[in-house]
Amino acid sequence: MGKVPPSLRSAISTSLMKKQSSLVPASLQSHLVNPIYFPRNTPRKLHPNVPRKPRRIPNRPFSNPPTSWMPRSSSIPSSSTTKAPLDLRFHNSLLQSFASISTVLDSISFLRHMMMSHPSFSPDRSTYHILLAQSCSAPDPTLASVHQTLNLMLTNGFSPDKFTTDIAVRSLCLADRMEHAVELVKELSSKSSKPDTYTYNFLVKHLCKSRDLSMVYGFVDDMRDSFDLKPDLVTYTILIDNVCNTKNLREAMRLVGVLNEEGFKPDCFVYNTIMKGYCVLSRGHEAIGVYNKMKEEGLEPDLITYNTLIFGLSKSGRVKQARKFLGIMTEKGHFPDAVTYTSLMNGMCREGDALGALALLGEMEARGCSPNSCTYSTLLQGLCKSRLLEKANELYGVIKSEDLKLETAAYATFVRALCREGRVAEAYEVFDYAVESKSLTDVTAYTTLESTLKWLKKAKEQGHAI
Amino acid sequence: MLPQRMKQAITDNPKKLANLIDLVNLPSTLREFVGQSQISRLGCFMRVWSYIKTNNLQDPNNKNMVNCDEKLRSILLGKRQVELVELPALIKLHFPKEPK
Repeated sequence: MGKVPPSLRSAISTSLMKKQSSLVPASLQSHLVNPIYFPRNTPRKLHPNVPRKPRRIPNRPFSNPPTSWMPRSSSIPSSSTTKAPLDLRFHNSLLQSFASISTVLDSISFLRHMMMSHPSFSPDRSTYHILLAQSCSAPDPTLASVHQTLNLMLTNGFSPDKFTTDIAVRSLCLADRMEHAVELVKELSSKSSKPDTYTYNFLVKHLCKSRDLSMVYGFVDDMRDSFDLKPDLVTYTILIDNVCNTKNLREAMRLVGVLNEEGFKPDCFVYNTIMKGYCVLSRGHEAIGVYNKMKEEGLEPDLITYNTLIFGLSKSGRVKQARKFLGIMTEKGHFPDAVTYTSLMNGMCREGDALGALALLGEMEARGCSPNSCTYSTLLQGLCKSRLLEKANELYGVIKSEDLKLETAAYATFVRALCREGRVAEAYEVFDYAVESKSLTDVTAYTTLESTLKWLKKAKEQGHAI
Repeated sequence: MLPQRMKQAITDNPKKLANLIDLVNLPSTLREFVGQSQISRLGCFMRVWSYIKTNNLQDPNNKNMVNCDEKLRSILLGKRQVELVELPALIKLHFPKEPK
């Protein structure tokens, strides 16, 4: 909304919204509204007020972090508007703002009204894309309004292209209308435009996230059989990642087989994904197997590979091997980062070697790698578990002085350790810090404190020493 | 591990969370202390704890003890001294479980 001048804002949000119902014919509406809110010369007068930035689109998925398979199309609407005349841009942003607070039907009549009152304004593809995004993101049990917008587009001479598909799919996915997205993609593929690989992979990724595997496979098969759209390496990586996350490693290995059959050569990313699958399940042996396979294939492991490996080995209790890999990665010219060290410290703390982990912190800082709150939390928890309360307290001092956040587990362990020693007041102070630094929600912080105190009281009553 | 178990407890039992954060109509003694007619158990705990801190009511020799002043005594069963350990339990007394 913010970009509409105040005078217009009130017009849109109050009178127009309420008066303009879709039952009133558009001509009548324009007649009603036009003389008051849109005098003929408004656009020219308003121009200086209109921000020249490319319009921003709420509810559009372009805020996603740009990963390798994210679409180029994200830059398309803005670049096309920068070239477009100011008139078009103004009308588009007005429509955009209007769309964000109204229904699809109202937006369509609003567009009609703009076209009638300003003959110089001819909507282009991006204008219709605004309507399309709106109709896709509205919760709707059917695809009727999407079809309506697409038809409107078609009658005005714009046949849907791959950007249209992309925008529709993304909006539908974000509104969690996966079934509709699949339906629409199939329909558009059969009629005019196939989705490009970015759209396709985006859809597959979202299907993986929110629907079960059989539906994803069904979609992939349908697209291959009916529209000759084959999954690529990225698609397979998404699928493998998904089955690894559901701990279904047999399926992952099958997919790797399929991948090879299809003639793709697994890259570093695929291997990292599989390795992650093993590491999360604490299967260090298999993780090393993947590492060796990479070496055999002549692929150079990257920082992520090493971090994953060290994480997995630490998790499965092979700290010695993890340390060895820390050496190897430095030799290969990778700089271990906070993640590497934190994983390793975690492993050492698990083994009860909290002092060793503390020494590693020194080593890490000496190499110029600065620890983050996760590192400190891991250490704090480790020290408490090894009953080194004084060291833990020192570390807590550092955390406080650097204004870092505490993690839930570390907070709980530390509070418990303090209470066990009878230092309840200090536990309260940690509680205050956790709340103040917004490390945890008030509720979590308080429930932890309360249950710890309850436990302490019980222990006291039963005559255990504090 | 404590926190995971707790998370489980909270997700398993939304009622437990509810009786911590739901606003409750207060009895008159507490109303006077808090200065408003409704507060949640969590809010009340925070209020009391910050009252203790701002008025330096912790015993200087043993920080785990609180020397109650008049006002605090009125809501904590009239005790002269309370331990910090029992503070949540004492406050909970003002928030009885609702009869089913």
